[in-house]
Amino acid sequence: MFKLDQIGILRGRERSAAVLAGLSLALAPAALPPSLSPALAPLPAAQAQQTNKPVLRISAIPDQQPEKLNRLYGLVANELSKQLGVPVKYVPVTNYAAAVSAFRTGNLDLVWFGGLTGVQARLQKPGAKVIAQRDIDASFHSVFIANTKSGLRPVSSVQGLSQLKGKRFTFGSESSTSGRLMPQYFLGQAGVKPNQFSGGAPGFSGSHDATIALVQSGAYQAGAVNEQVWKANLRSGKADPSKVTVIWKTPGYPDYHWIAQPNLDKRFGKGFTNRIQTAILSWRTSNPEQKQILTLFGAQQFTGAQASDYNRIEQVGRQIGKIR
Amino acid sequence: MKPAAPLLVLLPALVLVPVLLLLPGLLHGGGWDLIGRFLLAALQPSLDPVVLQSLLQGLAITAGMALLGWACSLLIGVVLGLASSRLLWRTLIGHALPAELIRRLLAIPRSIHELIWGLLLLQVVGLQPAIAVVAIAIPYGALVARVVSDLLDALPERNLDALLSAGSPAPAALLTALGPPLMPGLISYGGYRLECALRSATLLGVFGLGGLGNELLLTLQSLEFNELWSGLWLLLAVMLALEALIGGLRRRWGMPSRFGLTRTGVGRRGREIVLALVLLIPLVAGVGKALAIDPAALLQWQPLPPVAPDGWAEALALPWLQLAFNTVLLTLLAAALAVGVAPLLLLLVAPWPWGQRLLQLVWAIGRLWPPPLTALLLLFVLKPGVITAALALGFHNLGILGRLLLEGAQAAGSERQQALQGAGAGPRLALLYGRFSGLARSYLAYGAYRADVILRETVVVGLVAGTGLGSQLNESLSSFAFDQLALLLAVYALLTLLGEDLSDRARHRLLQQ
Repeated sequence: MFKLDQIGILRGRERSAAVLAGLSLALAPAALPPSLSPALAPLPAAQAQQTNKPVLRISAIPDQQPEKLNRLYGLVANELSKQLGVPVKYVPVTNYAAAVSAFRTGNLDLVWFGGLTGVQARLQKPGAKVIAQRDIDASFHSVFIANTKSGLRPVSSVQGLSQLKGKRFTFGSESSTSGRLMPQYFLGQAGVKPNQFSGGAPGFSGSHDATIALVQSGAYQAGAVNEQVWKANLRSGKADPSKVTVIWKTPGYPDYHWIAQPNLDKRFGKGFTNRIQTAILSWRTSNPEQKQILTLFGAQQFTGAQASDYNRIEQVGRQIGKIR
Repeated sequence: MKPAAPLLVLLPALVLVPVLLLLPGLLHGGGWDLIGRFLLAALQPSLDPVVLQSLLQGLAITAGMALLGWACSLLIGVVLGLASSRLLWRTLIGHALPAELIRRLLAIPRSIHELIWGLLLLQVVGLQPAIAVVAIAIPYGALVARVVSDLLDALPERNLDALLSAGSPAPAALLTALGPPLMPGLISYGGYRLECALRSATLLGVFGLGGLGNELLLTLQSLEFNELWSGLWLLLAVMLALEALIGGLRRRWGMPSRFGLTRTGVGRRGREIVLALVLLIPLVAGVGKALAIDPAALLQWQPLPPVAPDGWAEALALPWLQLAFNTVLLTLLAAALAVGVAPLLLLLVAPWPWGQRLLQLVWAIGRLWPPPLTALLLLFVLKPGVITAALALGFHNLGILGRLLLEGAQAAGSERQQALQGAGAGPRLALLYGRFSGLARSYLAYGAYRADVILRETVVVGLVAGTGLGSQLNESLSSFAFDQLALLLAVYALLTLLGEDLSDRARHRLLQQ
């Protein structure tokens, strides 16, 4: 580095500028470390690793509006924390693939995945454990919905989906089981390829709520959504049956489930993974707090689940190219 | 035959002819109702304190990420810029080979958009606040390095030769002879990069890397337009304040304007500049702490998920030519729209005094609005495809080019325009011949550079289907097909390097004539 007296030959303005040049060079290494100073905070995911008492970081694929997710998983965090005796933090993520990646990189401990994202997560994180599913998840359904002005009519068999060729059609997220994977699978059975929609491609609205809003508004003539979210939108009045209706309901398939990191017993103590499972399976509608959670989940209770329950999803995922 | 200079500016606007002809076929009109609601909501942004608090928090994170990413990129850029200066190496060791080598290497980080860097980092180091900062710092640093080395190598060498022949050691001679004349260009360019960094940070947020962008996307997806506008107005206020601050400092310190005919000088008020730079250090440190940036965590790499055994064959079988063609088509359309429409609009509104103000507001919104959001809005009424994506990308770049053109036109002085008007020419002709004709070549040269930037940016409108590499990237990412991603990156890098070369040649030709 240069000494400042070497610059002393300069005058006035030049001197300031040269000092500046020298300073900025001299300070270059000094300025870097503070800007990258070791402290963690805003992302709770990161924060948890630092504190002494381990925090259980739970998350979920963002399949619905964030307000609802925040409310639901805030309640889940409280209930789990009460039952397990450890701090529990809900970490929101912004898209399905990010949830899978964050699980793989170990930023999330317990995640509510969809069928497809769950399989992706387990394949990427060997040893991850399937904890539980809802009573409705063993045989879950998607519904195809259409704007009432689109001229699309309800159909009674999968072949009827062929009327969607040439229509403006939207899926939910790219990685959604009920909003993309299974609908695309059934569309394939009816002979409809994704490039046969109007514009040469389907839309990807991002979430089930978004699909319903877009089809109801007419931006898309039809779409595919999770049946449970559809029912919730009908009940809350957000979906207007005079503008958007169901044209077909799919046969059942396995969907959402809780998945836990393989290392929880090591971090939280022996048997912790089992304790999580016991806690979730114990939730009943007779308990007011648990009832609130179950209602938001659209279920009566949670039941045990195994990895093999999702073999069919893995198979369809491979067929459609979402699992490789 | 060559077109006359005034017409040259309007030449790219010819792209409007095919676009306007094709547009009716793309309109489906299903969501006009939504567009109406969206526009109305601009006047009634949500004032709910809960909403505002969460937006402000997001805005603070976005601004913080922008500031940190920018500061890191300047440091990286200055160091690497010096290292890739031919003049420096020639003076120090006698030949310029290392400079050439570093220059070539730096083309690679530069050719990949910050969004891709961000998504890659997310896969490798996991979800953490430093990702967005590093994602901005990598390509920006490489860009700043190029500008610094170009500025350095373009400086007159008389002073340096004098000092060297007077016997002063090479490092001291370099600093003394080249430091002061380098600063104005560097500071001016650095200020402009901060504006860019704010836009990039917002965009990274849209893709889930933290900050306000994500709230904008979610409110748009759930059609909560009033909340969306609260966020947009806040962001607009911050962006305009930042631009005004940077513009003000640039004038006060006597720095050359970004666009326009370069005027070299040493700049004024050196002490103030030093003070400002010194103040930046605690600011950057404080923001880094508040955002909980942890550099150590960046070093904990996670293995990527395994690649499927037949994955590479499958990846090679993608329709690469089609993908590359669509990407290039999207780039050309968007660039021509942005470059051509800016002068056209200024000419159209020339007779009305309020017209220019209105344009400035629309352009500000274009600059600030991340292209994926515009694309989502357009999909309410247009079918997906290259044109829809080009409109979204074109609108964003129109905001950037329009502002630069206006600044350049204002800096060019009004004498000729007034003379023409005094001689009885209409306001539009006077503007075209009086101001634009002098600027035509440097404006188009900047447009050529911008086209190169747009090529990189095509990835951000990948959510509109059928736009080439960007769309494929979305799909490959959600399938975790890292073999496909690797090939996609290689093709992107190759295309942008070719594009950079072409746009450099176009620029030189335009500026030489």
